Amino acid sequence: MLTRQNLITYLVALFIILTLNFFLPRMMPGNPIIAIYGDVAVVQMSPELEAELTERFSLDQSLGNQFISYWTALFQGDLGYSYAYNAPVTEVIFGRLPWTLLLAGLALIVSTTLGILLGIESGWRRGRRLDRSLLSGMVAISGFPDFLLGLLLLLLFAVNLQLLPLFGAENAYSGLSGFQRLMDIAKHLLLPLVTLVLARVGGDYLLTRNAMIGELKEPYILLARAKGLKQGTIRYRHAGRNSLLPIMTRTSILLGLMVTGVLFVEVVFSYPGIGFTTYEALTYRDYPLLQGLLLVSTFCVLTANFIADLLYSRIDPRVNYAH
Amino acid sequence: MHIDPKREVVQSKGGRIGMALLLVVFLLAIFAPLLSAYEPLTQTTQIFAAPSWNHPLGTNHVGQDIWSQLVYAARTSLLVGLLVAVLSTTLSALFGTSAALIGGAYDRIVMRLVDAFIIIPIIILLILLSLYFNPDLSGGSLIGIKVSIIIAVAGISLYAVRNLGWVGIFIVSPLIALVLLSYDIIPSTGGLIIILSLLCWQGGARVVRAQALSLKENTYISATRGFGASIWYIMRRHIIPDLGPILVADFVFCVRRAVFLQAGLAFIGIGDPNIVSWGSMISDAREWIFLDVWRWWLLPAGIALSVTIVAITLIGYALEPALDPRLRGEISAQN
Repeated sequence: MLTRQNLITYLVALFIILTLNFFLPRMMPGNPIIAIYGDVAVVQMSPELEAELTERFSLDQSLGNQFISYWTALFQGDLGYSYAYNAPVTEVIFGRLPWTLLLAGLALIVSTTLGILLGIESGWRRGRRLDRSLLSGMVAISGFPDFLLGLLLLLLFAVNLQLLPLFGAENAYSGLSGFQRLMDIAKHLLLPLVTLVLARVGGDYLLTRNAMIGELKEPYILLARAKGLKQGTIRYRHAGRNSLLPIMTRTSILLGLMVTGVLFVEVVFSYPGIGFTTYEALTYRDYPLLQGLLLVSTFCVLTANFIADLLYSRIDPRVNYAH
Repeated sequence: MHIDPKREVVQSKGGRIGMALLLVVFLLAIFAPLLSAYEPLTQTTQIFAAPSWNHPLGTNHVGQDIWSQLVYAARTSLLVGLLVAVLSTTLSALFGTSAALIGGAYDRIVMRLVDAFIIIPIIILLILLSLYFNPDLSGGSLIGIKVSIIIAVAGISLYAVRNLGWVGIFIVSPLIALVLLSYDIIPSTGGLIIILSLLCWQGGARVVRAQALSLKENTYISATRGFGASIWYIMRRHIIPDLGPILVADFVFCVRRAVFLQAGLAFIGIGDPNIVSWGSMISDAREWIFLDVWRWWLLPAGIALSVTIVAITLIGYALEPALDPRLRGEISAQN
């Protein structure tokens, strides 16, 4: 469902990002090559390279011409060169995107499912013991910043108990293959995944619980009870199903923030995804890489929004009537 | 819209706990110099000292007293949280109501900008901006930031006290006290505060606009218009006061978000290293995670940060009926 309104929004967002990416380094005083490429590049800078870069960005020409060559490069898929990694920016980013998608995708699925189930059960038993303890527990957990939760889990399971690995996504150079490699990856994934699920499940739970409480007051529930339907049927097929709408909205927002939402957790566990790369780019002052990351993660948000819109109109037929 | 935010908070148990916890953090922030024996950045000769009478939480890797840092960091978090919330709630109210009232092309432009900023991943944008604009503020920009903060705080104070009464005073007086006491850290946090506010108001503006659109349909608004009232007058005297509960709820969520973001940014090393904050303490302590020091270094800073955020969250949940009146029955049932 790509409406005209959404299309304009997407274009405005891209325009803001690209303009910032273009103007920020060029506004800085001093050598624009340093501003564009960062301090690391200067160490490796030879006169020939400097001449080549000046030529490539048309830095000796007017701002208008620079803008044109910037756009030309973008349309050719050229996001620049990362001197910290000694590789093209696109290569660095797309090499690391799969890890983020694995971690963030799994976290989203697990926390949403868990949140919905707990929310439904809790809302059904509203005011009783299970509901009360779940409610206070969830509110307390959702107050912990994800990086703190991650650090505490890391301290407990990796530093003290030494059950799980401290960092990374897999053991490099271990030569594992097949099933063993899979197990190794799973082991590295476990702590960051649990951290993210803990940090997020509270929001999903509270939203479902509230929706569930609202639905249970509706007359159709009374009818379902009068028909003598089983409790489980009423809980999941009737009330539960209708309580899913608000959570869909939230999930679509989270889907968009998937890539950046894992930044802090990736930093804590040195998990080699997009977030950790952002952190490294920040440490090395690798400007082209950071700008590329900003652009790529905005694209991820746009794609996620697009998918969410499609799904949403499938699930809630009312959305289609609105157009 | 006749919901009294004060009543919602005081009547719910969570709201009361939240207020009590926040009050403790607040007292720590205000009385920081009395509660600690050292300046937060003073380096003593002992490094990694264990907790003792002299240093209740020991000292860190450069010999700074951790307890003093913990207490002073409360100022940073609350100052950033509150000022960002003040500025961005003001922006939400102004842009949201004006978009609803003026409508037409202006409404469309503002709303497309709002949507666009909601899409852009602000953490990466913040990192990029902070790299290009060093937190080193001086001269004109510093005076500009101080003046804009003072004007915003003074304006909001007057407006809040006039229109919100008790709640207004409750929000405003600690804010003024904090700004006055923490005047010396404004140079190094001012830039962050402004950037965070510019990036945080968009969500609130959407909610405000939706509500203002329905308020606008009231007959008394057409009557006021008939008398020749300007849009600015209607915004100021009729719409924004009626938005009170929504604005208070938006304010609380902004505080939470700003405290969260400030801690997160400090954790990845963005911001002035001379400003003590819970995020930077956690970040420093993380380097020494293999020693035992995390127990009196990382843990207290983490707990302080989480308690603050939980407190704000609890108040926020207590205020949720202001945003979604369907929940009203539930909250009063929980007393």
